[in-house]
Amino acid sequence: MKVVESMFPNARIPYGTWGSSYFPAWQASALAEVNIAQFAGEAMANILGKRKVSRKELDYLVVGSTIPWHWKFWNGPVVASCMGQRIPGFQMEQACATGLSAVIVAGSEVNSKSYDVAGVLTFDRTSDSPVGVFPERRAYRRTEVISDVWDNFGFDPSTGSAMLETAGKTARKYKIDRAEVDELTALRYKQYFDAKKAGFQDKYLFSFDILNTQGRLLGKISEDVGVREISLKTLKEQRELDSCITSGTQTHAADGMATLLVASVEKAKEISLKPEINIEFISKVDIRTGPGLMPEAPGLAVQKLLDRTGLTMNDMKVVKNHNPFAVNDAIFGKTMNYDWAKMNNTGCSLVWGHPQAPTLTRTIIEALEEAVDLGGGYVLVFGCAAGDVGTAGIFRVS
Amino acid sequence: MRSSTLQTLGLGSVFEIFQNGKLPVTADELVDQIFGKDGNRGALVITGANGIVGAGKTMQLGSRLEPFGVPIVALDFPGIPDGLAKQYSGLVRAFGKGNANKVMGNIIKYYYDGKNLPKGLAAHNPKFLLEAIPEILEIKKEHYKTFRDNFPDIDIWSVTSGFPGSQLGVGIAHPAFPHEVNKIWEIVEPTPSASSKLLWALGLIPMQVGDNWAFVLDVFFCGLTGAGARFNEATNMPYWKVDKYIRKYLGPNPFRAHDAIGAKGANFLTWSCLHHLSKHYGDLFAPSENLTEKKDSGSNWYPLDHFRPMVDWSLNEEEMAEFNAWILGPLFQMTSLMIHENRSHLSQMNLIGELCAQFTKGVLAVVRNMGADEVRKIVADYHKLQPKAAKQAWYPEVFDKINSPEWQQLYVNAEHNGKVGVISINRESYNHDVNDELNRAIDWLKSSKIENVIITGDFHISTQMVGADTTDFFPAIENATKGIELSKEWSATARRLNSDFKTSVGFINGKRCLGGFLELMVHCHYLVAEENANLGMPEVTLPVIPGMEGCHWPLRKLKADNYKNFLKFILSGKSVKAKDSVGWLADYAGSMENSIKMAWKLASGGDHGLKKREVNENSITDIPDEITGLENTDDAGLTEARKAILDCIMNSCKATLAEAISVQAKFSGDFMTTKLCKKGVVGNAYNKTWQV
Repeated sequence: MKVVESMFPNARIPYGTWGSSYFPAWQASALAEVNIAQFAGEAMANILGKRKVSRKELDYLVVGSTIPWHWKFWNGPVVASCMGQRIPGFQMEQACATGLSAVIVAGSEVNSKSYDVAGVLTFDRTSDSPVGVFPERRAYRRTEVISDVWDNFGFDPSTGSAMLETAGKTARKYKIDRAEVDELTALRYKQYFDAKKAGFQDKYLFSFDILNTQGRLLGKISEDVGVREISLKTLKEQRELDSCITSGTQTHAADGMATLLVASVEKAKEISLKPEINIEFISKVDIRTGPGLMPEAPGLAVQKLLDRTGLTMNDMKVVKNHNPFAVNDAIFGKTMNYDWAKMNNTGCSLVWGHPQAPTLTRTIIEALEEAVDLGGGYVLVFGCAAGDVGTAGIFRVS
Repeated sequence: MRSSTLQTLGLGSVFEIFQNGKLPVTADELVDQIFGKDGNRGALVITGANGIVGAGKTMQLGSRLEPFGVPIVALDFPGIPDGLAKQYSGLVRAFGKGNANKVMGNIIKYYYDGKNLPKGLAAHNPKFLLEAIPEILEIKKEHYKTFRDNFPDIDIWSVTSGFPGSQLGVGIAHPAFPHEVNKIWEIVEPTPSASSKLLWALGLIPMQVGDNWAFVLDVFFCGLTGAGARFNEATNMPYWKVDKYIRKYLGPNPFRAHDAIGAKGANFLTWSCLHHLSKHYGDLFAPSENLTEKKDSGSNWYPLDHFRPMVDWSLNEEEMAEFNAWILGPLFQMTSLMIHENRSHLSQMNLIGELCAQFTKGVLAVVRNMGADEVRKIVADYHKLQPKAAKQAWYPEVFDKINSPEWQQLYVNAEHNGKVGVISINRESYNHDVNDELNRAIDWLKSSKIENVIITGDFHISTQMVGADTTDFFPAIENATKGIELSKEWSATARRLNSDFKTSVGFINGKRCLGGFLELMVHCHYLVAEENANLGMPEVTLPVIPGMEGCHWPLRKLKADNYKNFLKFILSGKSVKAKDSVGWLADYAGSMENSIKMAWKLASGGDHGLKKREVNENSITDIPDEITGLENTDDAGLTEARKAILDCIMNSCKATLAEAISVQAKFSGDFMTTKLCKKGVVGNAYNKTWQV
């Protein structure tokens, strides 16, 4: 393995001190009915408990969420309280780039020796999106009302376009073929269900019983509700909403949380489920591409990352992409001259859904688990985010 | 079999009460001795009287001493919120307005600055000081000095929850929460004093304990809280859920209890107790970080209402073993320490947990049932999790004596003089442990060729017999076989009172005898009761079907013209005074002294003048199915329960005596799986405590 310098030599991700809820599709589970921040805090305590990590180990909490929730003003501290630990915290967000950036911020805090153990807790509830009422003197209505999820998906104020339009536009730019996208999508579903059948998801996905206010069972969150096996034939039959975009070749909104810990070198060995596994931060970049070309941004971010580190795609043992549109992968393959069949081996957000902040966190966890299974190596995690942003990071598992 | 707990108070044995034909002391003579003769009574002074403990004890002792004309002086700092007035409504509920006003009218309130006693105090001739001021050693000592300087002959007790008497220089009377009603007092004194005997004579339950830090109750309760807090730290399981598991397997919910008592004060007291214990006994007791944080912040353990728990928690088999290690491990180790230090009679040590800290079974009973080897293994598992705790205060050898009568007869004792035996039960509700111990007591008497027996409460810890411990019914809620087995097993024990002795006397000395305990007692050849004792079979109100042959055994002892009395009694669920049940339920009811004498005459072959009512062993077919005098009800559940019980009565009476035990057991066991039972008191308790 080619050795490059770590961006945070004093920080590690302790193996196994992570976990994620399943991501039920929006409006389809008990998570649609709860304060997602409280759920995330309680679920993190539960996950860490199952991982034999006491919440007492945490000094700091980086919270990532992109959709407003009740009492969001209090952010990190209140979420930490829901976890049962009175520690400080910090809230951050940048749409779907949030998960990776939250992990990097935690790495930075630990690397600078501000804390021994920083938790990353990302969550979002897309269901029943809150509605904001904004005074807007320049609008003819003078007051604008925005449904946080749906209205923002439909309108990028920088370009005036919908999210979906960026996918169609970029597909046309790269002359992506619909048949390729359908085939790619079929493979992604196969990868997800193969991994599921093999029990791979059991390593990091946790089931939760959700209680109502009377303390009775409101619902069980024990699968990625709404994800069904789909055939290539069905995909081909679907109506095109924009170039190469059908309902089957794009992700769906979902609810959920994902968490992991970042620790000092010594502490990581202490709390890791497998202290012999070493997980390091190598590098991370964000880029912003031209207006309305979001799906090409991840590839550009990866290229920049490789240029800066001196690594190549051949050095990557695991490649994992947050791909709200299947064309993202096809464009990435074309621009990076990379076989898209070699990536997203155990599932991806195209299939299991899109709750925004925790999406890339789950992606990272899946990628690290896969790398451990493969005996270590470089792990490339990347994705797109609202605003035509691409984000990419590299970790090293040894 | 073992010594009676009554003997620890210097009051002789239960056997001697019957042999002597009277109780060992009276409240009148003890009041005279402590407070002076009538007309010249001195006062009881309670300091810190507006606090939770002080106010509760002012009410408890005030209501009992008012009839004797002992004035109660309530002393506190000026500006302290009035804690006594808050007690008034409870007093009215308990005694009625007239009596409540009398009690309040006997309380003299004074305020003082902590140094100079009020000038008027001397006029009340203070004879006894019950100190309930904050847990600060120097302040307490100064307080005693002030009183002794002014009243050199005054007796002093502290209600401290932790400081040993050797540090305070006064006697200890540590009471249990809730203070206005809980009768238990842990007493520390070199030899049993008139004051402790007076508590007993007033119907309270003093228990002699060793002069060690935190005595017994707070070691169990604070120790359990500390163990729960550590389990939370180790596993992240939230306190509310830790509580649920502790409640299911042990009984208490320590964190809820702290919030209910008042987290600020309770957290401090628990921390203080464990902190002081850890200074003497090491890390077994060391307060955890989260407990210290709760002490400092005074915040509740349970989440605020708007954060009512959302994510449920459960334990798999491996995690359950970890729970046992974290919770039972320290509890067992603390038990070993207290036994090693001989802190109390084992029965008392066991029952303090049940009566004061909500343990479903006393810790010693849990230890005994688990066995010494398993207990030591659990403590060893705990030491792997908290190695420092192993360095001190662990005495595994105390469990070597687990087969001795002191361990085996925690709830039931037996004594005899070669001719008459007395079986005394100190548990207020009947459970499997009592059943097993009762069988052993009967076996022991039989092995000593005892043919005549009195079965009774213990005149000390058990002040009433409230019936079956319904937590033992929980396994039967989902499995009728379990209910049938329980019913048959307990009924078989009850039948031994009829079949294994030439004469058996059920003696009801307490305030009430209900349900399963009454079913047990009616199996005796004679039932003798203090005349004002309440007898009842409230099963229909729960509802359950009586499982210890209450549906046919009493009827088999009756003539047909008395059936209606018993049927009305069992189907209404209402209690009757013992004196109103003579002839169809009790065989004799009189004053306490006369009842004691009658029981002794019956058992010892004296001239008692009572006719033994024989048990009809044949099928009874003339039980009326129309019950006159039974109040109609609009309650469909009650109607259904009555019908179920009546069905059981008809069928079990129709059977022969030999067959009836199985018939009744089947009805009783099957009923516990019905929707009606599950919706009732037992089913609700099952859902709350067992469905974790």
